[in-house]
Amino acid sequence: MGRNRTELSVPTARDAGLTGCTSCGRVWPMGTEHCGRCGARLRPVDRSALQAVWAWWAAGLICYIPANLYPMLRTATLGHEQTNTILGGVIELFAHHNYLVAAIVFIASVLIPVSKFIAIAYLALAVGNEQRAGGHRHLLLYEIVEFIGRWSMIDVFVVAILSALVQLGAVAAIHPGPAAVSFALSVALTMLSAQSFDPRLIWRGPARTEGP
Amino acid sequence: MTDQRPPAELVTEPAPDPIWTRLSVIWLVPLFALAVTLGVAWKSYSDRGELIEIDFADATGLRPGETVLRFREVEVGRIETIGFTPDLASVRIGVRVNKDVAPFIDAEARFWLVRPQVSAQGISRLDTVLSGTFIEGYWDATPGASTRRFTGLDRPPVTLDPSKGTWIELRADDAGGLAEGAPVLFRGVTVGRLQNLRLNEADSGVTLDAFIEAPHDRRLTTNTRFWDTSGVSVSLDATGVSLDIRSLASLVQGGVEFATFASGGTQVENGQGFRLYPGAEAARNSIFGAGISEPARYILLFDEAVEGIERGTKVQFRGIEAGEVTDLSIRMFTDTTGTPFAKQQITIALAPERLGLAPGTEQEYVNEFLAGEVLHGMRARIAGVGLLGSTLVIELTDVPDLPEAEMNLSAVPYPTIPTAAAATNDLAATAEGVFNRISALPIEELLASAIRTLDSVSALAESEQTRALPGELTGLMAELRELADGLNEGEAAAKTITALDGLSSAATSVQTEIEGLGAALASTDAAAQAVAAMPLEQIGAQIDGLLADLRTMLGSEDAEQLPRALSDTLEQSAALLAELREGGAAEKLNGTLVAAEGAASALEGATARLPELTAKLETLVTTAERLVASYGERSAFNAEVLDTMRELRRATSAFGSLARMIERNPRAFILGR
Repeated sequence: MGRNRTELSVPTARDAGLTGCTSCGRVWPMGTEHCGRCGARLRPVDRSALQAVWAWWAAGLICYIPANLYPMLRTATLGHEQTNTILGGVIELFAHHNYLVAAIVFIASVLIPVSKFIAIAYLALAVGNEQRAGGHRHLLLYEIVEFIGRWSMIDVFVVAILSALVQLGAVAAIHPGPAAVSFALSVALTMLSAQSFDPRLIWRGPARTEGP
Repeated sequence: MTDQRPPAELVTEPAPDPIWTRLSVIWLVPLFALAVTLGVAWKSYSDRGELIEIDFADATGLRPGETVLRFREVEVGRIETIGFTPDLASVRIGVRVNKDVAPFIDAEARFWLVRPQVSAQGISRLDTVLSGTFIEGYWDATPGASTRRFTGLDRPPVTLDPSKGTWIELRADDAGGLAEGAPVLFRGVTVGRLQNLRLNEADSGVTLDAFIEAPHDRRLTTNTRFWDTSGVSVSLDATGVSLDIRSLASLVQGGVEFATFASGGTQVENGQGFRLYPGAEAARNSIFGAGISEPARYILLFDEAVEGIERGTKVQFRGIEAGEVTDLSIRMFTDTTGTPFAKQQITIALAPERLGLAPGTEQEYVNEFLAGEVLHGMRARIAGVGLLGSTLVIELTDVPDLPEAEMNLSAVPYPTIPTAAAATNDLAATAEGVFNRISALPIEELLASAIRTLDSVSALAESEQTRALPGELTGLMAELRELADGLNEGEAAAKTITALDGLSSAATSVQTEIEGLGAALASTDAAAQAVAAMPLEQIGAQIDGLLADLRTMLGSEDAEQLPRALSDTLEQSAALLAELREGGAAEKLNGTLVAAEGAASALEGATARLPELTAKLETLVTTAERLVASYGERSAFNAEVLDTMRELRRATSAFGSLARMIERNPRAFILGR
């Protein structure tokens, strides 16, 4: 059904001289300052909002670099201290034949964040160039990114829980490494990036070709 | 038609805002993130510290990224890489050292591995069992020239800070019971440690480092002497047995004690060398100074047996103690025919100052000096000292009358000094000479000649003539008795009796003389006994001399003149008789005088034989004494001979006195005294 819809020429609110409330979805004539229903401030659909997306995105990417270079965990066992970066840990787990755990860590810490960066960048780049017909797919992608973004924190949670649990003094102790902070920051920033993406822009492309 | 197109509709668009006015403030966020990230990156890069490389023999327990470098037990670095030196002989550890300490790591810095250790001093660094091996480093607080490649120590240094004490070097002939880490004692108090026990280059001994902690290092002077107190020392002397164990630790791993016996030394510097003596006595008495200057060593090769020479045997240079024997061994040589032969190789150490050279003179100069001496005839030899030469020494002294020889300066391991045959002690030499002469005496010939002499003596004694002598004498006595009877019967009997009385007294005096002869015979006897007891060498000469003496004595003028006197007497008697005949008494006296004449002639014959008789008698007596001694005192022969002798003596004495009387006063023979 969606496929059919994408092939239809979908009228947009902007085409109709309306602007939708981002909070409750009620449309108002353009120029209205505040939503008469929920009182939220009505923001016109503006490409300039993409700047925020890119800004957060860039910040998240910057934070993602040290998150991979610095050790995530510092494990001290009987005086031996071991530090692992994310990828190092994955390789080590893999070497120890813990394929499942390795896969989970790899997906949660590498695959998902990287995909998210790519997805957001794609969405942001696609604004204005896309055919209106593809809007539905982009919206789906956007929703997935927003949904999955919170799960990216799983790595940080693991570190936090391990650090809290494994504090056995000299026998064994786990401390978060600097990468944990960077990674958390990176995840948070990408979430902000995704958040600041205005999905209404997805539908802007065709309007532009027909627009004033 | 002119196709006049209307002017294009003016498209006016508002000028786009400059990009900076459209920029959202949100861009500050990634800028900030970038700045922070770059800042962190730059900081971590700039704080990365410096990489130094340390070479170790092995990398037991070292792991890159985990093993740390510690300075005073504080982590100042971490191992980054573990590799090998290009020759694969050792492990090269790359250590990232914190930036703040890196400037202090200069050429003086030392690194060693800290591992748990179990030693005689106890167990140490047990903590590293859990924490793992780490590298400990030590460097001083003054930044020096940057050095980035080090060689790690095999073991922890004795002391962290070498400035808090003094390093010295000890040299000993052998390590004895010493072990690394053994204590250095001063009056029984541990003031330092030994380390780095190693062999000398020339294998002539061992060298070890000792660290004397401050402030005890002030007690060291250049006159300080060190000795080994390892193990147990047992000494036995007049006061009994004394057992000395310094400490349990020194029993297990040895120890070194020091003391300063002589004043006047100067403060020692780091690296000062000291000799390590095997015991306190040796340290106190040794002629080698405390200095480490290696004594000049030489090899002596002896063909003869070197029994009695041992380690520590003194070496005398022209009578002055100048060194000692440090080693003895056998060295094989091959002669020109390829036959191997052995020589005794004795290694000696000489103290240059005892040779008259400056203390600590290099061996080269000592070589030069000794080579000169050798050219002038100096040789090494074994000599005995002491009363009987029982204590042996090696003597470096001029030995005359030897072919020229040179030192072999290029010999290994030490130059050789030519040797000479062993010298013997003077007293021993004299005694040996005496024994040599005794053994060379012709004792057998002497005995043979003595036996021959005795044979001839006994032959003389057994001859018919000798045996006839007593008979003749008896006949003579009988004749005399007849003469006396004749005289008695005659008118001149009374006078004759008087004459005979005189004759008797004369005989008595002759007897006295003969008794003197007896004393001479006694001395002969003693001489004969002396012959039996005394050195046989002189016996022959003595016997000869004695016989000669006896002969001269018996052949004296008195005895020789006796016959002449007797003939004179007889002439005078004849005159007297003529007078008597004229006087008328001749007839009466005639018979008597005839008898007297016969007696006189017999007497003359007897007297003429007297010296010969006496000589024979003396020989006989001597022989008889010997024979008597040999036959036994109480044998029949002995008694018989003694009786015969006694009679002989008596008869001889009577004749002697008669002859003397007649000689002195021939008239008395007829007229009485």
